[in-house]
Amino acid sequence: MRRLDILPLMESLPHDSAHLHVTGAAEYIDDRPFYPNEPHVGLVYSPHAKARIVAIDFSKAMSLPGVVCALKADYLHHNRWGSIFPDQPLLAEHQVNYVGEVIVVVGAESPAALREALKMVKVQYVLEKPILSIDEAIEETSFIGSERLIAKGEAEAQLASSPHRLSGVVTLKGADHFYLENQTAIAYPLEDGQLEIHSSTQHPTETQSLVAEALGLPLSAVVCITKRLGGAFGGKETQAAPFAVYAAMVAHATKRPARLVLSKDDDMVITGKRNPYQVHYQVGFDAKGLMTALDCHLYGDGGAYADLSTAVLERAMTHVDNAYFIPHARIRGVVCRTNYHPHTAFRGFGGPKGVAVIEHIMEEIGHFLQIDALDIRKLNCYQGARNVTPYGQTVANNLLPELFTTLEERCDYRARRSALDAWNQDPEHNPRGMSLTAIKFGISFITRFLNQGHALVHIFRDGSVQVATGAVEMGQGVQVRIKSLVAEFFGLKAERVRVLATATDKSANTSPTAASSGTDLNGTAAVAACQQLKERLAAMLVKLIDVPLELWPQKTAGLGFMPEIDIAPMDNSDVVFEHGRVYVRHTPEQSVDFADLVNAAYLSRLPLSAYGFYKVPGLDFNKLSGQGQAFLYFTQGVACSEVEIDRFTGEVKVLRADILMDVGRPINEAMDNGQIAGGFIQGVGYVTTENLFYNQEGRLMSHSPSTYKIPNIHDIPRIFNIELVKNEGNTVNLQGTKASGEPPLMLCFSVWNALKNALAYRHRGQKGMRLAKLPVPATAEVVLRELRPHAFLAWEQPFLASRQGAKAHGNKAKSAF
Amino acid sequence: MTAKVRDYVVLFINGQRHDIRGADAFMMLADFLRYQMKLTGTKIVCAEGDCGACTVLCYRHSESAQSVFLPQNACIITVAQLDGCHILTVEALTENGSLSAIQQAIVAAHGSQCGFCTPGFVMAMSAIFQTPHKPLCEQKVKNCLTGNLCRCTGYQSLIDAALAVPHSIKPLFERFSTAETDGALREAVAMPVHLVHDKYTMVAPLSLTDAHHWLKTLPAARVLAGATDFGVALNKGKAALCPMVSLHLIKELYDVIEENGRIMVGARVTLNSLRRFSKTLIPELASFLNIFGSPQIKNAATLVGNIANGSPIGDTLPFLMVCDGQVHVWGEQGERVMAMADVYRGYKTLALKPHEFISHASFAIPKKSHKLRLDKASQRKDLDISTVNSAFCFELDDVSSTVKEARIAFGGVQATVVRLKKTEVFLQGKVLSPHTIERASVILQKEVAPLSDLRGTSGYRRVLADGLFRRYCHQVKGNEDASP
Repeated sequence: MRRLDILPLMESLPHDSAHLHVTGAAEYIDDRPFYPNEPHVGLVYSPHAKARIVAIDFSKAMSLPGVVCALKADYLHHNRWGSIFPDQPLLAEHQVNYVGEVIVVVGAESPAALREALKMVKVQYVLEKPILSIDEAIEETSFIGSERLIAKGEAEAQLASSPHRLSGVVTLKGADHFYLENQTAIAYPLEDGQLEIHSSTQHPTETQSLVAEALGLPLSAVVCITKRLGGAFGGKETQAAPFAVYAAMVAHATKRPARLVLSKDDDMVITGKRNPYQVHYQVGFDAKGLMTALDCHLYGDGGAYADLSTAVLERAMTHVDNAYFIPHARIRGVVCRTNYHPHTAFRGFGGPKGVAVIEHIMEEIGHFLQIDALDIRKLNCYQGARNVTPYGQTVANNLLPELFTTLEERCDYRARRSALDAWNQDPEHNPRGMSLTAIKFGISFITRFLNQGHALVHIFRDGSVQVATGAVEMGQGVQVRIKSLVAEFFGLKAERVRVLATATDKSANTSPTAASSGTDLNGTAAVAACQQLKERLAAMLVKLIDVPLELWPQKTAGLGFMPEIDIAPMDNSDVVFEHGRVYVRHTPEQSVDFADLVNAAYLSRLPLSAYGFYKVPGLDFNKLSGQGQAFLYFTQGVACSEVEIDRFTGEVKVLRADILMDVGRPINEAMDNGQIAGGFIQGVGYVTTENLFYNQEGRLMSHSPSTYKIPNIHDIPRIFNIELVKNEGNTVNLQGTKASGEPPLMLCFSVWNALKNALAYRHRGQKGMRLAKLPVPATAEVVLRELRPHAFLAWEQPFLASRQGAKAHGNKAKSAF
Repeated sequence: MTAKVRDYVVLFINGQRHDIRGADAFMMLADFLRYQMKLTGTKIVCAEGDCGACTVLCYRHSESAQSVFLPQNACIITVAQLDGCHILTVEALTENGSLSAIQQAIVAAHGSQCGFCTPGFVMAMSAIFQTPHKPLCEQKVKNCLTGNLCRCTGYQSLIDAALAVPHSIKPLFERFSTAETDGALREAVAMPVHLVHDKYTMVAPLSLTDAHHWLKTLPAARVLAGATDFGVALNKGKAALCPMVSLHLIKELYDVIEENGRIMVGARVTLNSLRRFSKTLIPELASFLNIFGSPQIKNAATLVGNIANGSPIGDTLPFLMVCDGQVHVWGEQGERVMAMADVYRGYKTLALKPHEFISHASFAIPKKSHKLRLDKASQRKDLDISTVNSAFCFELDDVSSTVKEARIAFGGVQATVVRLKKTEVFLQGKVLSPHTIERASVILQKEVAPLSDLRGTSGYRRVLADGLFRRYCHQVKGNEDASP
């Protein structure tokens, strides 16, 4: 097996806002100065998971000093929204379907007045019985959209004849995005009924559309501007827009600028999470562990409204294979409608659900046959002619077998496995486990029309450049990558290029910055715009070098005594742009300063602005048949994690993690490394400590960092290595790059499986055993239940029986402290 | 009572003096900085002191032993409570327009992504480099940054940044503290404060007698020390801004002293000061305080505040229970002393008479033969509220492993922190054999009655209590019998 070369560490430009981040000068929306008359906007939302609204009374609130308006659904021109199905009201009118559903929007002159006013708004409800689990939804046939199917071969028949079969259920709970900047928007009313919205959104175009529709304005009357987000991770793809509408309603009603800044608690209660999933599987395999067939049924919890949940399901279903070849597959899936906040995009989208299932299966086959799970994975991974996915796409430029082998060597897998075997023989030791898992993540929106990019490039007479694209900067470094692309394209220093705030009047009809595609789509569009400009400037150069300096337009255009230089279309491949100068390849001595060339072009009346557009070619996935080219390419990677469980408390430590990723030829290696490290750690939180706790009434109780635990600095692996492999073969994408935003998150399942591996050592040497059924997240309590079942039996059951009505297990308990 | 009273508080912000009165004094510092001072580098995310995005540096003149600026959460402390302090915000750090060494290091290590948590990290990291220090290790960096959450980077780049900062940087104190600032603060803290605005009142007397007088005068008043819990309750609408009697101008309350085998801690001694003080005297306490809350919280919160708050999962309370903790209560008749065991009447209910308040707490320094062990188990190892916490202190016969005396206290298993007297009595005089441990664990379960909540079920708390007990026995004996 070929070993992959490791990419050497290259010098990378810092994030284009890094110097502003560290000085506190980077402006986020709530850092904008207040206008003296600017109301603070607050929301009244449902405390009930399902109820009829009988009456809404805000007369008392309106009578308080400092309260400027209270608005409900009847203020809206249009009260339905949804990216896929418009099934969600912006403001609930007759019915609430989740805790946190917004009913009334209040504007007040001070935070104190707002707080008082919100308390004084009285809503009367008649409670109804909510659906609070996937099981209940299945029972009530409460679904969003119809069941989907991806099928290949004869899964049922092959399962029946497989030497071994295992079936089970994988349960994944949700997770909160926990972006640091809570949902925020300011609406400024402009002259003639126009609105300028500043919104912390991944999708300025959707925000613009939703505000316009809600208020009955043409889209041309609304501009949405987004400079930077304080984190998003998918949580601001669709769900930022309603908050912009609420601010816009107050601005519209009062003719004053209006600002909405959610508290973390309100944000967590109102907004949707990563979709919880329950996946039933049956897998067949032979004595060596080679998969023969897989049948699985995915049930996603969509929450109360559709949001993006059906698209999340599509990605889950197209990622059940992950890195592994499944000869016969039947993958069914459906989204359940429940009475929780509408769940939404979160880094990886549906990917984690699919990946969790198959990586669990790999681990379980290994345990069942008492073969190292790494060998099972290597045996099953896409290789050679075994390279067609269940949805019919061929895995091109596939490095998976080499990634496995290369990491296996680099992280010293076999020696560490032997050491673990010895370590775990001593019952005095805390159990340790290790797992090496993979990711193969499809890059493209599965919804074809979203795969388009937009960019506007201006060159100014001093040779400096402005770029505006549809990409939103949320920390991932899309702006600095685009800056590098443009600067390199014109042979300029990076500081000559400024990437502007994303705005719908500069880049229109854009797609959300999501699906890891920000740079692919908008960077390629920016290059397309630059290409048009370069053609003009190159043609200009060819003419200009023949003109004596004293007759250049700079000297003559004012008086107009020379004929204007006229350019003609030409082959410009010989014109070189480098180090701020431009020349024809064979006459470098005749080089012209970039700014001089630009100025000459301006004076010769050449347009120095261009709009670039890009659409991803070759996509033809048919959602109804479940077949087709769903993705332009795949980003791939592997990770090996070793964990230790405190045998007395169930607490988990990640001792070491080694990650090897293929992200093609990086534009900015540091940004890619940042995505990998951050994505992986976010995933570690997802599979261990991040526990959304809902009470019996469907109310989220863990709605702030004191109760919802994202990883802390002490939670990162004690040893943490990240390396990139050299891969120049991704010819289908911008400069051979690959997207890196989402894929690394799903390497977190190496940690999840390492926990199961640690627990599995109890049955070492016994064939035919099942793996511990750890859900996601595998909290300390869940792990300890697996580790000390007898203690729970001894200490929990007797006391439970003696306390009537107390439900000790599950999420149905009241807060004690 | 002193004749001259201030109707304003004095604080310096980035070297500038501010006399603050009226509504501004009752704002949370983070709001005041952002919306009144236009210093928007300080961010607000959780408004409960958990994420560190609002971290500022604070030098309190009354804690004159320390010539350093300490990180604190600006989101849960009112401006009034910072009377007599010098506050530095992220805007102050650049020098003549250039980035500070810490800021440069973060940029170079690609330590910021979305940037929203970054100012908080910059401040917490700047606090590390104020005193001459040994070469930093990764663990120390983590301990210093544990009060800051980042959702983008995965932290490694921030650790790398801290490790790359050159050692020879100019201490902040030299840059910002002058004879003038110090003189102004000294003068200010010698004068009591009486602030009134609308329905809000805050008084800061100079003596315990005056504090008691104010508590009688303002019946609904609340005594403030670090007020880290009160600040959260205010932000979350769980408490209203009531009249406040702040102890911050009472000098003697900043003292921590060792006397006759005990340590006496004033009500204004922060947990961080206590941690430093106990490093050599009770290393177990100092290292436990390392995982207690964040540096930001520990620089504001006090031991006495932890006692007065009375949470059943107060992390210092099991320790005080097993080390003869006492509280000194100030009231009508002056001072009285109460054992920790008598302090709590029920869930967050203290056995104090009207107008009484706790001025000091004290505890015994365990003898060499006493094996003290403090533990907490939580959803996340660090910076998390305990699911169960515990203190064990056994006196063992070195040779025979006979338990001469056992003390066991648990938090999170009852409405208050409790001593497990029956288990203790059972263990006394017994050899810590596997059999003894098994039998003790059965008695232990009869003494706990935990509830279920979002941090864990009652069953989990029971098994945790069992596990913590076994782990202690395992460690104290160095034996193999405690395996669950």
